[in-house]
Amino acid sequence: MFAMSYKVQRYVILFSFLTLPLLLLAVFSFYPALYLAWLSFTSWDGYSPAKAWVGFSNYKEIFTNADMFKVLSHNFVYFIGGIAQNILALFFAVLLNSRLRGRNTFRVLLFLPYILNSVAIAYMFTYVYDAQNGSLNALLTSIGLESWIKSWLGDAGIVNYSLAFISMWKFMGFNMVIYLGALQSIPGDLYEAAKIDGAGPHQSFFYITWPSMIKIVELSMLLTVSGALEVFDLPFVMTKGGPAGASQTFVTQTVETAFNFSNYGLASAMGMVLLFIVVLVIFVQRKLILRGEE
Amino acid sequence: MKKKQFISTMAVLGLAMTMAAGCGSNSGNNEGTPAASNNKTDNAAATNTSGNAAATNAAASEEPAAPKIAGKVVFTTNRTDLVDTELKNYAAKFHEKYPDATVEIEAIKDYDQTTKIRMASNELADISLIPGTVKNSDLPNFYLPLDDLGLNDRIYFKDNRSQDGKLYGISSGSAAMGVTYNKKAFAQAGITAVPKTLDELYAAAEKLKAAGIIPLATNFKDKWPLYGWDQEAFIFAGDPSLHNTMATQDEPFAVDGPHWQAFSILKKMVDGGYVEKDLMSTNWEGSKKDVASGKIAMFLLGNWVVPQVVDNGAAAEDVGFFPLPLDNSGEAKVILASDYYYGVDKNSENPETAKAFLKFLIEESGYDDYAGFIPVLKDKKPKLAQLNEFMATNPKVIEMAAENDDYLAIANKMQFDTSAFAQDAIMGKDMKAVFDSYNKKWKDAKASVGK
Repeated sequence: MFAMSYKVQRYVILFSFLTLPLLLLAVFSFYPALYLAWLSFTSWDGYSPAKAWVGFSNYKEIFTNADMFKVLSHNFVYFIGGIAQNILALFFAVLLNSRLRGRNTFRVLLFLPYILNSVAIAYMFTYVYDAQNGSLNALLTSIGLESWIKSWLGDAGIVNYSLAFISMWKFMGFNMVIYLGALQSIPGDLYEAAKIDGAGPHQSFFYITWPSMIKIVELSMLLTVSGALEVFDLPFVMTKGGPAGASQTFVTQTVETAFNFSNYGLASAMGMVLLFIVVLVIFVQRKLILRGEE
Repeated sequence: MKKKQFISTMAVLGLAMTMAAGCGSNSGNNEGTPAASNNKTDNAAATNTSGNAAATNAAASEEPAAPKIAGKVVFTTNRTDLVDTELKNYAAKFHEKYPDATVEIEAIKDYDQTTKIRMASNELADISLIPGTVKNSDLPNFYLPLDDLGLNDRIYFKDNRSQDGKLYGISSGSAAMGVTYNKKAFAQAGITAVPKTLDELYAAAEKLKAAGIIPLATNFKDKWPLYGWDQEAFIFAGDPSLHNTMATQDEPFAVDGPHWQAFSILKKMVDGGYVEKDLMSTNWEGSKKDVASGKIAMFLLGNWVVPQVVDNGAAAEDVGFFPLPLDNSGEAKVILASDYYYGVDKNSENPETAKAFLKFLIEESGYDDYAGFIPVLKDKKPKLAQLNEFMATNPKVIEMAAENDDYLAIANKMQFDTSAFAQDAIMGKDMKAVFDSYNKKWKDAKASVGK
């Protein structure tokens, strides 16, 4: 072992560190993804040994059946919630980056929802939104806003907004922490120099803070978009896609197709389509946000 | 071969994990998944050391020249609530009867989904409940024929899970669809006799509502508890295989057809305010407590719910059961539907033991009585007092037939969920529009599967 040259030692270390993670990645991520792609060309029912090759007919069905894409409009509500979440996160990050009494307490408070298990959050909000005994309606009653009382999860028109709000509440803290990290990495002398040159707080934000953070904003937006497209746990636990399919999302629909209606082939194709949509959105977003850079 | 199996297992797991990442908390009961394949050595040892004892036992049992009943078998069930209590007793009793054999019972939440994944990966437990959406033509690929148990002539629902003249699944019992109600709540609202006609039902609901009691629990949010309304449509049609009949029709959901009539009753209950105030905040486990305490008066579910209401604190004599009145003729009609079917894994290490336990479950365990089912054995009378009381009135009985492969193919293609259909019909502004869209989807699905 000690007789090895530096070069050999380097390779030994590289391989020994990389084999395990690469193996795990291959077994649990790449292989299933490839298998998923293959399944999407079959009419497999999820249990029988026969997996008949059906070519592109699953994809054809997805793109000809209007119902399949109608649910994406529900996902869009989560995307709007995600944008609001990013703006709020940036606002709080800038606020809590300044000298403020008790700012660490506020940071912890805002970050806490992210640590909670999402199923626990779903149950918690089931009680908040409950139409008869829920705390939200109780609050509205106590401040004299009885006319605002709604069946938050029972009204097809607002159920997605109710759910998107939860997701916003949960992930806002996470975004805020990322933005805080980015803010703290901006050197303070830049601001000092700007101040000496007579820049106001708005100018320093738009000409120093924002350009330094654009990469991080891009990352957050990427997470927001793919998160919005892949919403699953909240509607699955809280509404089961109801009332009458009004809070169904693309992923809950995929899960139903595979497990309730024994159509793994079609569900796999839906999974692949989702993958392509996410890739496409990321591509477009990079082109838009990184205009004029690199 | 082995490697291929492993690989496909991983793939299926991978798919399941990526898609069901949020279900983690639901699978708390799934410990011991690989149990089925790990027992091999134990079994061999047990068989070798105590071969004599097993032989004596076999001689003592009813079957002539029965094979050795020994080794360990696994039984998977959907009854997560009974796994550590009642079902454990059955395993103990079986072990007492056949000292060389042991049974391990595993309860699975989300039973059908999990079981189908195990079928795909050849990990089916020795004895399991056959998931409802498995087609009969697939049965020979996964299950052993059960004709040699000698039960063929003694059981109901024999043909439902048979393929090519062989029996692959035996019903665990059946349940009558009807209204389970709290007698005290009825008395409190001043209702003296159970409703026999539809008008009497609405009148009773009105009285209950006036007394501050919720007349009917729909459990709308949980969706599956609405399945009864689809079964009532079978009675309206007078057709024990309505679903299979639908598979031969292009537009089965006619205005004033069976489903329309059944859902109209539900709609009237909802529109009249005779159900939970907020349909999207209903809670199944809570509703059992509410019916037990009299906060809610009625359920439309299988009679299996009666023992569960009693478990939730009602006195047995306070819980009653009557058929849902469908019209104003006063004639009582009821539909019997089978619960899960037991099947024995084709690749079981100890098929004889598995079959013996299946027979034990049906003939001796008393599970059907405990669960409030009508026993599958023709010569055994149901024990549930409410059910006997109800059957004593000689209602017209329809025995629901199994869904055939044509129906399942169309229903899966169209993603037809009878309970979701009921939800749509109630939530939609115009019930006719909902029925029209279901007709169209049905027609398209039927055309595309070529039936």
